[in-house]
Amino acid sequence: MSDASSLKVFLNPRSIAVIGASRTPGKIGYEVVKNLINYGYKGKIYPVNPNATEVLGLKAYPSVLSIPDEVDVAVVTVPAQLVPQVIEESGRKGVKVAVVITAGFSEVGNVELEEKIVKIARSYGMRILGPNIFGYVYTPANINATFGPTEVVKGGIGFITQSGALGIALMGWTILHEIGLSAIFSMGNMADIDVVEVSELLAEDPYTKVVAIYLEGIKPGKGREFIERMSKVTQKKPVVVIKAGVSERGAKAVASHTGSLAGADALYEAAFKQAGIIRARTLLELFNIARGFALQPVPKGENTVIITNGGGAGVLATDTAELNGVKLLEPSQELMDKFRQTMPWFGSPKNPVDLTGQAVVDNYIKALKVAVEAPEIDNIVIIYCRTAVLDPMELAKAIVEFYKENNVTKTTVVSMIGGADVEQAIKHLNRNSIPAYPTPEEAVFVLSRMLMYKRYLERIKKAS
Amino acid sequence: MKSPREIIKTALEEGRNKLLEHEAFEIAKYYGIPVPEGTLVRSSKEAYDVADSIGYPAVVKVVSPDIVHKSDVGGVKLNLKSREEVAKAVEEMEKTIPLKAPGARIVGYIVYRMMPPGLEVIVGGIRDGVFGPAVMFGLGGIFVEVLKDVTFRIAPISYEDALEMINEIKAYRILEGYRGQPPVDKKALADIIVKLGNMMLDLEEIESVDLNPVIAYPSGAVAVDVRILLKKPGSTQH
Repeated sequence: MSDASSLKVFLNPRSIAVIGASRTPGKIGYEVVKNLINYGYKGKIYPVNPNATEVLGLKAYPSVLSIPDEVDVAVVTVPAQLVPQVIEESGRKGVKVAVVITAGFSEVGNVELEEKIVKIARSYGMRILGPNIFGYVYTPANINATFGPTEVVKGGIGFITQSGALGIALMGWTILHEIGLSAIFSMGNMADIDVVEVSELLAEDPYTKVVAIYLEGIKPGKGREFIERMSKVTQKKPVVVIKAGVSERGAKAVASHTGSLAGADALYEAAFKQAGIIRARTLLELFNIARGFALQPVPKGENTVIITNGGGAGVLATDTAELNGVKLLEPSQELMDKFRQTMPWFGSPKNPVDLTGQAVVDNYIKALKVAVEAPEIDNIVIIYCRTAVLDPMELAKAIVEFYKENNVTKTTVVSMIGGADVEQAIKHLNRNSIPAYPTPEEAVFVLSRMLMYKRYLERIKKAS
Repeated sequence: MKSPREIIKTALEEGRNKLLEHEAFEIAKYYGIPVPEGTLVRSSKEAYDVADSIGYPAVVKVVSPDIVHKSDVGGVKLNLKSREEVAKAVEEMEKTIPLKAPGARIVGYIVYRMMPPGLEVIVGGIRDGVFGPAVMFGLGGIFVEVLKDVTFRIAPISYEDALEMINEIKAYRILEGYRGQPPVDKKALADIIVKLGNMMLDLEEIESVDLNPVIAYPSGAVAVDVRILLKKPGSTQH
């Protein structure tokens, strides 16, 4: 059960059959085939439809059994009552994993049907993702086996979602905000494969830098196992989780004082801490933090410097740093003297380093050079407020160039505050591996979570 | 001395899901959780005989499966300074409790050393349907009641996790000494947290434990009240 290697086929299938492939646009069986083709999957695609000879230009087969080739992955979109037969045939065919998109199982009380398909799959050693899901995506192999948007942006975030509707909506949202993903796994009812197993799979995937999870809950009695296995995942990759819903606990434990204080949320909080999981409180936080991990190295030290062209934004960043345990370096006189050289006479070389509203590209790059060269500085927060004297794209390009030329490995986050042209500059930074955010609080908050992970890794190292 | 399993078995056989004080103390002690020196006596004569070995000041409490609020029926006597006072306390309870709580079964009277004041904290254990046994830590009084300034970990709990719990409550500075108070022994508290976790893992019949309060000192900590609830017979973990 806990063998992630049986799931590796998700990442490099030689062939994918779509059972229930359709010729009708808008139907799930059509959209999945279309996404597989249009996203550029290089393996074989086999539409299965007994009433068609061709789907989207591909030869269709009446049954998975009539495909004259091995089939690694079967995406199932037929109505629920037909799923057992399809699973049976897929098992006989030697399919390794079935991605059961079809709904109408335990989520509507149809527990028996769900147990039945799992039993059939197990008898053939086949694994099931779902049922009741929107499919899966693995961008390094150009696999988009979903009925969601097509052009998923490639990147380092492995996204696992227990919610279908929200997950599919977030696919579109990540495209809009150019949030790069390595994988998307829709988990649905988790009749067989669960969140932990997919996390274990992604922990071993070289393209996945961070695992981001939308979690609704852990099954009864599985909490301890979740902690034990996820703590092994977090030793390899950072894991960020948003936990939805504080489910009602039975009244059974409320007879004791402790029981009355133990909301389910307090226990999830504890479990996440013990497993080394970083908790996000909002979807925005989830993807902000994940983007930080995907684009930047884990911090090597605690000492952080803020470089800004606006006093107010610097103070907000400082407040967020203080609230979230980000240590701002007290610069030495020597360091202050160096920063002083990078700014107009009325700037401030303390931390935040205030280059003033007159700052142009040259001031930023000089200050960055000082920060990168100073051995006592571990992390850099760059803040820019839109001014008349400095074009945001010009600054973004200069920052990207500076980081590439100097091979900077100090963990860096950027905040750019302003209008439409600033949004373009933020995108430019994100495309070039520098996580940028529209507010100073978001940037510093992301850094605070990256520092938490650094401390966790250090603690693990010390303990072993 | 009976083993924890024997104590639990007896209680369940007698249809009790709340352990009696001396039973709870014994189980806690078995798992290395420090509790006050004490013993169960059946009469004022027995109380007179054992009082010196426990030391003073002493506390006497009635032990009864039927009496929930002991103070209300005169079932708690504090700060007893001699064997005469201890014996007299038991004698009075023998007379008055049957009048105030007619029909209540009286198992005996627990006599134990009254612990000096210190910082009161709470360590609790619960069993959750998803996570199994978990342990809570918080400061006593308003910190728990009003501010709900508590933190949890799932058992088994490492010593480092336990120390982290102690350091992450909002009021942790109080533990480090304030207004001239000395800092308390965090290691002793962490030790209790770890041991309670182990106890909950070991004894699956236990539904919840309240060590409330645990009195923390500059050196050491003692659980002066131990409440153990068992799962109701026939109820199963979902």
